[in-house]
Amino acid sequence: MSGDHHNTDDTGPAARVKALEAILTEKGLIDAAALDAIVDIYETRVGPRNGARVVAKAWTDSEYRKRLLANATSAVAELGFAGPEGGHLVAVENTDRIHNLVVCTLCSCYPWPVLGLPPVWYKSFAYRSRAVSDPRGVLRDFGLELAPEVEVRVWDSSAEIRYLVIPERPKGTEGMSEDALAGIVTRDSMVGVAKIAAPASRRIDSGRARA
Amino acid sequence: MSTATKALNNLIEAARLDADHVFSAPWEARAFAIALKLSEAGHFSWDEFRDRLIAEVGASERIRARDGTSDHGEYYEHFLRALERLLDEKGIVL
Repeated sequence: MSGDHHNTDDTGPAARVKALEAILTEKGLIDAAALDAIVDIYETRVGPRNGARVVAKAWTDSEYRKRLLANATSAVAELGFAGPEGGHLVAVENTDRIHNLVVCTLCSCYPWPVLGLPPVWYKSFAYRSRAVSDPRGVLRDFGLELAPEVEVRVWDSSAEIRYLVIPERPKGTEGMSEDALAGIVTRDSMVGVAKIAAPASRRIDSGRARA
Repeated sequence: MSTATKALNNLIEAARLDADHVFSAPWEARAFAIALKLSEAGHFSWDEFRDRLIAEVGASERIRARDGTSDHGEYYEHFLRALERLLDEKGIVL
């Protein structure tokens, strides 16, 4: 651990943020209510449930799937998902032969309108540094072992382009409604670090899939 | 198990225990909201902020690569430093 990252009580991040907020509030540039509203939006309203609805619609509506693959930004906007860091969105589709994995090697670019803010591991050096050089190793860390014949495509996000993975629809879900399907689509599957389990084995995992 | 694998496994496990977890501490949420609010109000563009963030993250990684250490999820420390630096450059906090 580098020495300059140690924090004392006075200079720790919590104290620095508090000081910053006090100065900016005094200057009339921010107010507590506006900050609370932003935090509420990103903690509870913008998140992977949005992306799950996009995926479920793509699974059940072939015309929508085509529009999503052709222009994801406008296709997700049809469902009302737009906003900061939505920029130019590209949807990439997993098949039995191709597995897509998304990373941002420089920092933390992520499609906020459909997935919310990125999880801790997505922003970590451990993930960002290895996703490109050793994607299969990273996937194994997530518990996903891909068959050797499956091609792995790694997409490096940037300020200009964000990616959304359309995971494979699991077998045994043929009779499920779009709403029910949206309930089984996980965040990890839309970043490409997981597949979606078939309904029978999914029940054990329902605690994790809930959002 | 390599250091990188171990570090990633720890972070994956942390995310599993708390699937909806967006911020690890209240100050992270506050720093994020301050940056977004000021950007939305036009005090700087998000691209300008991202450039500083990339610089902070990159500097930390050069140290880690040199020392062979791995991160512990300190992303928002870089985020805060990037914000402080940008506000300073812009003369917003004097």
